Amino acid sequence: MHPQNRTPMVLTGLAVVFIGLAAAFLSDSWGYPAPRAKIPLVDKAILDPTTVRRTYADLIRAKEDLSDFDCYACHEKGQPPPLRYDENHKLLIPEEHVNIVMGHGSHGRNNNCFNCHNETNLTTLQPRDGRELKLENSTELCGSCHGPTYRDWDSGAHGRSNGYWNTKLGPAVKKDCVNCHNPHSPRFPGRKPAPGPHTLHGTGEVTHTPESPSTH
Amino acid sequence: MPAPAPHDPLTAPDAGVTRRSFLRTSAVLATGLAAVAASLKPLFEMEDITSAQQFMQKYYKELTPEDMAKVLQRIEGEVEKEYGVRPHVRDLRPMDGVEFVYALNLSRCIGCRKCVHACVAENNQSRSPEIQYIRVLKMPHGTFDLEKGDHNYASEQVPEKGFFYMPVQCQQCHNPPCVKVCPVNATWQETDGITVIDYNWCIGCRYCEAACPYWARRFNFTKPSIPAERLNPNMSYLGNRPRSQGVMEKCHFCVQRTRAGRYPACLEVCPTGSRKFGNILDPNSEISQILRTKRVFMQLKEDIGTNPRFFYYFDV
Repeated sequence: MHPQNRTPMVLTGLAVVFIGLAAAFLSDSWGYPAPRAKIPLVDKAILDPTTVRRTYADLIRAKEDLSDFDCYACHEKGQPPPLRYDENHKLLIPEEHVNIVMGHGSHGRNNNCFNCHNETNLTTLQPRDGRELKLENSTELCGSCHGPTYRDWDSGAHGRSNGYWNTKLGPAVKKDCVNCHNPHSPRFPGRKPAPGPHTLHGTGEVTHTPESPSTH
Repeated sequence: MPAPAPHDPLTAPDAGVTRRSFLRTSAVLATGLAAVAASLKPLFEMEDITSAQQFMQKYYKELTPEDMAKVLQRIEGEVEKEYGVRPHVRDLRPMDGVEFVYALNLSRCIGCRKCVHACVAENNQSRSPEIQYIRVLKMPHGTFDLEKGDHNYASEQVPEKGFFYMPVQCQQCHNPPCVKVCPVNATWQETDGITVIDYNWCIGCRYCEAACPYWARRFNFTKPSIPAERLNPNMSYLGNRPRSQGVMEKCHFCVQRTRAGRYPACLEVCPTGSRKFGNILDPNSEISQILRTKRVFMQLKEDIGTNPRFFYYFDV
């Protein structure tokens, strides 16, 4: 074929190719890749900065029902409640206090209620030095045995404090021992961990939903 | 003027439009226009076109207080438009006589990852894809070989017997490699020890991510997705304001909280009180007490000379 006749054919061919491509781009015939599956939001309980337990002092501050702590609704004043032990000298928990698990100290040696509670006045606590402490001041009682830990707690090295590191700008709220530790079984409880990092290179669980926004 | 060649209409200057030349020109024009339109298509689909003001914004250190006030207002407007929540964006500067130090009690950490998610919520990180500043390593007892650490653990219950847990986040080094490599000075160390990023100045080259020995820096590969109902409206310029696509981010000790005197979010949420934070220049602060009296065993990778402001200690 003569070269002069070939030029318009090539041009027309190219034009057709470009028009075709433009149409394909505009009509979006390949589509976008399916958006990655949305990672579910974490449970709000994970973000909660409150302590694992609420103390008697917390209940007083929140002006909540304290009837659970009214010992003399059941016990009689002036009569120390009797303690019963099994043959291994393990304390038998009466069924009224069945929610108490005795696990303070290794080897189960700290198994006498009146090591901490005051048998002559059940609404108070008694450290070994003879003081009588209100229930809301239990941290002093813990400190009477756990000296180094109490010292650390006092200086801020042990335990939780929320609020302000700079006390000129606001209060630092120091939490009590029993905010984290159950006094009857003080080991900090384990828990299920919050979800770990999601891997980017997926597990094939990509779902394409039309209403989810595209992520291009 | 030479006479026109009668058989060559293309070279004839005064020849009328022939059918052939008309068709050819229109075909070329149509193709060209279609191609231009197709190539411009992504522009029309861009969700947030960078505003001229944002594009022309100066470097953080060059902004005068008046400039900064305008910038903060603009950011508040942008966030409100996008999320429907009017934030309070501040530019908090370092306090005099304050140098922040963090200490983490390895004997107490139970690996519950609450700090990871509290940090995400506080600092408006992207939820999907996920950006997290804290990685919790589950390490077998008897070694500090980080290679043996596992951060993808999904145990039914923590802590597990035979393991300890080591959260790692930005160590706020005295000698930060990430600052040295930044080609545009978009990241620097402030006088209170926090290494910050000007998100508007960052070009997204990710050199800092490569330089960081602690894997503390994160890159926004896409536009971060933050659910409006979880947006934290207490923001600061160098801290937790929403980032854009293509910039780096990292832990900044919650500047929006700590420079206002409060504890960081990860510390407040820690159920065991393993995290301690404060001003090392105050000899009576709890952090000074801890570094003086506890068995502070290390700064992570102290042999590489970065001298972190993040300490790990024991107390049992």
